[in-house]
Order: sequence, then C-alpha cells, then structure tokens
Amino acid sequence: MEPVNDIAQLVVNGLMSGAILAVPAIAFSLIFAVLQVSNFSVAAHIALGAYAAYVVNTVLGLPIVAAVAIAFVAAGVVGVASDHLALKPLRRHGPITVAIASMALNLVLENMLRFGFGNTVQALNIPVYRDWVLGGLHIAPQQFYNFLIAAAVMVALFCLLAFTSIGKAMRAVADNPVLADIKGIDPEFISRLAVFIGMGLAGIGGVLIALDAAIEPTVGFRVILPIFAAAVLGGLGNVAGAVAGALLVGVAEELSLLVLPVAYRSAIGFFAIIIALLFFPRGILGKR
Amino acid sequence: MTQGKISRRTLLGTAAGAGTALLLGAGASRAQLSEPVRIGGLMSLTGAGGTWGPIMTKIQQQIVAQVNEAGGVLGQKVEYFVEDDQTNPDAGVLAVRKLIDVNRVCAITGVWSSGVAMPTLPICWQNKVAMLGIAASDTLAELPHQGYFLRTYVPVSLQGREIGRFGLSKGAKSFFLMLAQNPFSLAMLKGLKDEVEPKGAKVAHVIYDGTKTSFRSEVDQALKSKPDFIMLGGYPQDSASIAKDLYRNSYSGTVCGFGTAITSEFIAAAGKDVAAGVFTVFPSVAENSPAYKSLQKLVGSSDLLDTNRCQAYDQINLAILAVAAGKQASGESIQKTIRSTIGGPEGEPVGDVMTGLKLLSEGKRINYDGASSNCEFLPNGNIPNAYFKTMQVKDGVLVTI
Repeated sequence: MEPVNDIAQLVVNGLMSGAILAVPAIAFSLIFAVLQVSNFSVAAHIALGAYAAYVVNTVLGLPIVAAVAIAFVAAGVVGVASDHLALKPLRRHGPITVAIASMALNLVLENMLRFGFGNTVQALNIPVYRDWVLGGLHIAPQQFYNFLIAAAVMVALFCLLAFTSIGKAMRAVADNPVLADIKGIDPEFISRLAVFIGMGLAGIGGVLIALDAAIEPTVGFRVILPIFAAAVLGGLGNVAGAVAGALLVGVAEELSLLVLPVAYRSAIGFFAIIIALLFFPRGILGKR
Repeated sequence: MTQGKISRRTLLGTAAGAGTALLLGAGASRAQLSEPVRIGGLMSLTGAGGTWGPIMTKIQQQIVAQVNEAGGVLGQKVEYFVEDDQTNPDAGVLAVRKLIDVNRVCAITGVWSSGVAMPTLPICWQNKVAMLGIAASDTLAELPHQGYFLRTYVPVSLQGREIGRFGLSKGAKSFFLMLAQNPFSLAMLKGLKDEVEPKGAKVAHVIYDGTKTSFRSEVDQALKSKPDFIMLGGYPQDSASIAKDLYRNSYSGTVCGFGTAITSEFIAAAGKDVAAGVFTVFPSVAENSPAYKSLQKLVGSSDLLDTNRCQAYDQINLAILAVAAGKQASGESIQKTIRSTIGGPEGEPVGDVMTGLKLLSEGKRINYDGASSNCEFLPNGNIPNAYFKTMQVKDGVLVTI
C-alpha cells in the first residue's frame, strides 16, 4: 500500500510544481505563437515579477493579490519595452538571431535586477502554514493556493483568447499573419499585446515561485529548462499544449525519483525535449 | 671516464659569474620590483556565492588601495583584477584564463566555490600561479598542486565530523544529510559518517540539485527514514526552501546546517518562524586577534564578521606580504614564502598589511596571524588546526550557544 501512497504523493507534488511552471510556459508559447520566435528572456521576466512582488508585498506591505497584479503589469511593460528596443530590430534576421539575442537580453535584465536589489536572497512576507494531511497525502496550503492562482490565470487567458475580439485577433495573427493583416488586424499591435500578456504571465509565474521559494536574480533562469521543455512537449505555439506539457514535466520530474537519484531530476527536462522531438515533433497537442 | 680540466678561461668565467651573482644578491636585499604586482580576485559575484563575492572583493580592493596610497610594494603599485566566476565551473575557467593569460597575475584570491576551484586549480599550478582560496572540498588538497594551493578555510570533512559530534551531543541516533550537488558533498558525508557510525548512529542522505526551486519530494524522502537529526548542506536559498518544507511537515527533530547554509540570508528567506531553533556549526574566526579588530575597523563594523570576509582579508594580506618578504612577484615565491616565513610561527606577529610592510622594509621577519586563523599552512594547502562555533537562530538572529 505504501508504494501506492508514495506514487500518489509524488503525483500531487508534480501537479503542484507543474501548475507553477505552466504559467511561464504559456508565456513562452503565446509569444512563439504570435511572433514565431523563442524568447528566452522569459527567465528574467520571471525574476522581475518576483522582485515586483517583493517590493509590493515585503517593502510596501500590500497583500499578495496586489503583488500578483503589479507583477503582471511591471513584467508586461518591461517585456514590451525590451522587445521593442532589443529584439524587434533583429526580427528580419530570422528566429535564431532573435532567440540568441533574447538570451543576451536575459543577461542584461537579470544583471539590472542585481544592480537594483543586490545578490542577497529575499522573500515575500507571508506566513508558512503546516501541511494538510488528506488520506495520507501531504498538501501544503501555499502550494495549493499557488495551484489555484495558476488555474485562475489559465482560465482567464483561455477566456480572453476564446471569447474576446482581441483574443480572436491574436489567434488570427498566430494562424496566418498575412491574412489577418488583409482583414484589417494590426499585426504590430497584436504582437505587442502578445508580448505584454506573455511577459506579464511570466511575471506572475515569478510570484508563484517566490511564494514557495526564495527570490534572487537567477530565480527565473533556474526554471527555464523545464519551462522550455513544457512548451516544446506541448507544441511550441500551442497554449493548451504548454499547460499539458508543464503538468507532464512536473509529474515526470517527481516520478523519476522512483527510479533515479534526486540529482538527476533536472535531466527530465532534456529527456522530455528529446522525446518530443523524436516522437511528437509538433508536440503532444501541437498542430503546427 | 675523463678528468675535467679547469682552463684559465673557465676559471675567469666562473669567477665573473660568481661576482655577478654576488652583486645581484646584494641588490636583491634592497630589491625593487621591475613591474607592478598583479593579483587576481576570482570572485563569485553572481550565482549561489553572489552574496559573498562582492563583499570579499570590496575588502580586497580596500587593502590594495591602502597599500598603493602608501607607495605600493618594493617600489611598485599593486594591480588588482577581479573576474566573476558566476559560481559556475565553466565561467570560472574562462575567468581564470583571463586573469592568467591577459592580466598576468601571480596570485589568485577568493575562489569561494569548490566547483570552481576543481577545474581552475590545475590551470593555476600549471602556470605557476598561487591560489589562495576558500573552497572547502577535501579533494583539492589531494591534487598534485605542488604547493600552489593554500586554503584559508577548514576542509569540509572536518566540518562534517564536527556536525556529527554536535548531533551526538544532542542525543541523535538517526542522521539524515540533505546535500547540494557539489564537490564537497561526499567529503562532508564521509566526515560525518566517520564520526557517528562507530558510535552506533545511522546515516542516510540525499544529494539534490540545488538549482531547483522546490525540494518537497527530497524532504519527503528524508522524513521517510524518520531521522532525529537533519543536516542542511547547501546554500541559503535551497536550505530555506527545505526548512520551509520541514516546518510544513511539522518536523520536530534537530535541524543543523553547514556554515554556508545557515546565514542571515537563510533567516530572511525562510522567515523567523521557520528558521527558529535551527543550529549551525561552522569554523570560527580569530575573534580576539589584532587582524580581526583591524578588519572590523576597515569595514566600519563592530558586529560579528563572517568567515568569508575574514578569509578575503587574510588572502590579500598574505599575497602582498609574501611578495614583499620574498622580493618577487611570482606564484612560486608567494606560495613558498607564505609557508616558510610569513605564515610560520617565527617573527613579529602582524595582523595588518601596512604594519607588515613596514616591518619587512626594516629588514625584520614577520609572522602574519590572520582574522580567520593563524594562517599556517601544511604542504597540502590546509590549515592544521580548526576551531568551531555553534550558533542557533533565536528571534530571527543567530546567537552563539
């Protein structure tokens, strides 16, 4: 009975961590869907969101809801500005050039955070609660709340894309930018909007990580591999696929502990990318 | 076999050579260096060691500035170059190559991370550059470094032993070590095992990837073995996450961390409630030494100074004083002079670089007693004696017990 309980606990832990990864994975996929480029500066925007939440919650003493909102706006605005200044001029040179430039942009943004906040580890001012124990499974209340925040964000994004004219315009540009342009949709505006929402989501991802762990400038870089793996596994450009990919990577990382030493957990991200490229080159839910 | 003949030409040549050597020797006693003294700081300005790198760098820069303001060493300024190793071996190799190949340094200081020290130490000894580092992995001292490695910190196996002793004193029978994936982890484990297993205690461990943001499953794994003593052997951020999960699981045993894990940053990241009661056992510094007081004056603080600051202070002082005492700005001379003279027990005790330079210029012999230890080094680069201190988090601060 105990092994079954162990597996169930690992699945629960994996779903919790996968849900947190899902939010920035959506960001990565959404930007790819509209701009057709991999923007690795998502990592720095995760850190930016975490620091914005630190300022709002720890320094100014405002509640976490306010921290989530400010983190979304701050990361979104910086995302649009940095994309305009650093990446947009390079788009005509192809997606590889932009992807490499986004890594450089990530370094710049990460070091700007370092200049502003230093290297010391920071934390949000929230109480730590004891676990709930349900049927022998331990569930941390904060991680469950994080799961709910992540789910709410994903539902809101789904509603935006499915039911609003802006969402339809974004999907139209993602499917066929030339046709969307002919139909009177401004691709430039939609691109900026996609970057704003995408980087804003990365910022929220940073808050979710900060709620459970510590804040330091490399907090986003630490999770960029599983985020990229989730986006690739789900099919780059497929928002729903990014969620499925993140949950799969999260659960696979935890279940790997049954057969692999803990130190190899990071390899799961690489393994997921290899599996996706070999067997699901368009992702498990991909259509491109 | 033929008997060699000494011709008049050979005799004259030998005499001329000997004369020249004597003249040079006499000159050396009033030696002036022909080039600036170049010292490199291989510092963890970013990454897991990013908290300490900038602080250590500033202390070393201040010392170099003091020396240069007073006229330098043997007529030359000290040039101090800093490179960021990012607490990452790859970046460390690039950084040390730049310091050696471009800046042509004779000594490298800092070297906080064992992961960085492992690939960079061979580059140093191959280029005859002295490395004065903190990196605590035991393996470093076992490498064939020909004396070019000098460690101002205590090797990690001794720290493991001391934490084991502390656990036994708390009545622990079942130890669990949570170790970050690092070159020092196995040495730490071995040190603790060697201490506690002969006394009947059980030891289990997990080596985790410290770059992750969540360690929940690792904590579940630890709690399954029902330990009464958990040791945190990582860095502040991952140790804080682990401590939070132990708190959430209502763990009631003893939690004790390694010196680099349980710091004020750990308390800030974990929060007062979670950090309360956590112990740390770590190598103590020479709090009563003149060097320590001098360092407190330099940093403008009468608070307890951590070991990293003390070691940064000692490293730069040792390197500069070794150049002055050995009258050569070379790695070979520095490592030999530190071991043979200024690190030795003979000579006037000195705790700051300016006094040391003054005494050396007067032709006196000095014995540098540092802020971190007495700075006497064994041939393998280790310091022979280690003293430890135990602290506990109470009301959000570390207090000595």
